[in-house]
Amino acid sequence: MLIRTQLAGANGKVLGPDAYNQAMTMHGVTMIFFFIVPIGIGAFGNYLIPLMIGARDMAFPRMNALSYWIFLASGLFLYSSVFLGKAPNCGWFCYTPLNTRQFDPGLNVDFYALGLIFNGISSTAGAINLIVTVFKLRAPGMSLNRMPLFAYAILAVSFSLVFALPVLTVDLLFLELQRKAGFHFFDVAHGGDPLLWQHLFWFFGHPEVYIIILPAMGIATSIIPTFAKRKMIAFPLVALAELLVAFIGFGVWAHHMFATGIATAQLIFFAGASMMVVIPSTIQIFAWLFTVNLGKPDFRAPLLFIGGFIALFVIGGLSGIMFAAIPFDQATTDSYFVVAHFHFIIFGAAVFPLLGGMYYWFPKVTGRMYHEGWAKASFWVTFVGTMLTFFPMHIVGLLGMTRRIYTYAPGLGWEAYNLAETIGSFLLTVGLLMVFGNLLWSRFRGVPSGPDPFYGGTLEWATTSPPPHYNFAVIPIVRSPYPNWDREDREDDVRRFERGQLVLESGHETPASTVRDGVLDEVLEMPSESGWPILLAFALSIVFIMLLTTHYVIAGIFIAISALILAAWHLKEPAEE
Amino acid sequence: MSTASYAQRISRPIGWWGMAVFVAGEAMVFGALLVTYFHLRIRNNPWPPHGVPEPKVAVPLFLTGVLVSTSGAMQYALVRARRGFASDARFALLIALTLQVTYLALQLHFFVDDLSKFSPSATSYGSIYFTLVGAHHAHVFVGVVLTAWILLRLVRGITSYRLVGLSAITWYWHFVNALAIIVTLVQVSPSL
Repeated sequence: MLIRTQLAGANGKVLGPDAYNQAMTMHGVTMIFFFIVPIGIGAFGNYLIPLMIGARDMAFPRMNALSYWIFLASGLFLYSSVFLGKAPNCGWFCYTPLNTRQFDPGLNVDFYALGLIFNGISSTAGAINLIVTVFKLRAPGMSLNRMPLFAYAILAVSFSLVFALPVLTVDLLFLELQRKAGFHFFDVAHGGDPLLWQHLFWFFGHPEVYIIILPAMGIATSIIPTFAKRKMIAFPLVALAELLVAFIGFGVWAHHMFATGIATAQLIFFAGASMMVVIPSTIQIFAWLFTVNLGKPDFRAPLLFIGGFIALFVIGGLSGIMFAAIPFDQATTDSYFVVAHFHFIIFGAAVFPLLGGMYYWFPKVTGRMYHEGWAKASFWVTFVGTMLTFFPMHIVGLLGMTRRIYTYAPGLGWEAYNLAETIGSFLLTVGLLMVFGNLLWSRFRGVPSGPDPFYGGTLEWATTSPPPHYNFAVIPIVRSPYPNWDREDREDDVRRFERGQLVLESGHETPASTVRDGVLDEVLEMPSESGWPILLAFALSIVFIMLLTTHYVIAGIFIAISALILAAWHLKEPAEE
Repeated sequence: MSTASYAQRISRPIGWWGMAVFVAGEAMVFGALLVTYFHLRIRNNPWPPHGVPEPKVAVPLFLTGVLVSTSGAMQYALVRARRGFASDARFALLIALTLQVTYLALQLHFFVDDLSKFSPSATSYGSIYFTLVGAHHAHVFVGVVLTAWILLRLVRGITSYRLVGLSAITWYWHFVNALAIIVTLVQVSPSL
């Protein structure tokens, strides 16, 4: 909002250049690392995955707690920089040499580098947990071909995180070694290479884009069949397309670097790979559209948001294809055209399904319905606001406005478009307030929803709303990808519950099954709640604060303390039979 | 329903899967470090630069051979522990631990020796050399702590929980030892 107010007219005075740089960097870093990824994967993934696959908990409940506390601590760590006036100011990709001590002597960049390494621990722990949960804790009978498409999307995201984040961590480690210990990775004078930063950053950065978009695709593939009242068409193709998007995401990083003078052969390879992403994306788009078309669609608010998502995704995707053409990219690099493109993807395509998903699963989480009329209205306000905010950015980009400028001179023909964008951003804010106002009101005043208000097909609708802390009273047995539509199986569950089969009522137990076929293999006794994860997160926070302030000895001591906490954590073993 | 014991389980336990996925991520750390090594090497001639001694060959290769042999000891410990022979497992772990600690102590000695000869903050060769080798030593150190930990746990007998721990730690060591071969070969490669 501050950013848009600043750019509403020429020569804005709201923010100075330094404050603008900090605001812009924090906007990018916050939205990517502390909003979309945690909401998409942390909130939706952690809450829904166990419910959808018929498990009682995540595979490693304590690691889940650890992941949460570290996330919180890393957020506090990074935001403390704002109050110290030392927020990162180098843009979210923080290119060298702007990030070196010579050009950025304050703690700003150190907050960025250490904060993201810290945050990376949380994301990695969460991703490992999700992968193992999806592999091992599926309900009996849920073989891989019966796994919900949302679980495929989360699986693809988690693998992307596990493979991409370490590379970012190494890159940030190089940066800190260069800044704090005088190592030479990125400076030419001592045999380093500034492009190395970019290669490593974007090797992480592009998969990150798919990490952002894939949970949204997973939400779309959950909402569409429910409201179209039919199974997803081309189910295996959509599942493969979700995995393929994540896979190809690792082969396209240099398309962020077309204008850096890398070799032509590299350019052509990465242009080709970038074009290839179109194939799995298009498979999914057509599968969504035809599922709606062949079903009997009921356009309630969640489906409206998915419709908006598809429209915005297509616009953002089309401008994306334009960038894969190298000459076009070289002409528009770092212009507002790029800003328009990635906001259509990251805001339009990634956040719209999150909003739709909030409406869709709101009754499951709270046991109450949201207000349908307000929800539909909020969709239209948000959609128009989004278009008005981000579409003119294409035009000013082509008119020559470059990104990351904090002000501009009058008379360049940019004022009207920028004013429209600013008005759009206020409209967008109103839309988002309507969404959250609706949910807040419905939380207390909404009509009770019952367990399954939309007649959804996946297992989360088979239990009560809100679900009990053990998720399912009896472990469901699954025979199709939409088990909640198999009435006989669910009636069987009730009969097994009465007979006491697979109820697992003693303690904190959940079944584990084989990875491919989902055959019941063993019953796991899950660990109880524990105070160790929060202590560990606290110790690690001190490590990072000491690293920031270059008290390396104290940091070392607290690393040792962290190891002791880990040992104490694992000292108590589950009872043997 | 009673809890199936380790022997009855037909697929790998979740603890093993957790370690496997973690190790895959760690492999990416070393992938990035190795790519950086060659990225910088292509851009710098000569490599190592003037004034920096060429790396020794025989000693690092010998030490790596010793470290890799502990993979056998770890695997033997796991196999014996699964069959219930706790004392055999402890003996094999003790041998593995001794070799691992010896390896780490000698490597740290050479690391400090290298530091006295050339500085990580003088050239990009020094920067990536010490970062790559140091990162591997850190992984060996973590492995040593894990071996010592599981050895202490097995003193009080074998449980199915400890067996899962042992299998995860054994896999961690197979990974670190495979890395040792690659990292050492890269480290000595300018002299070959």
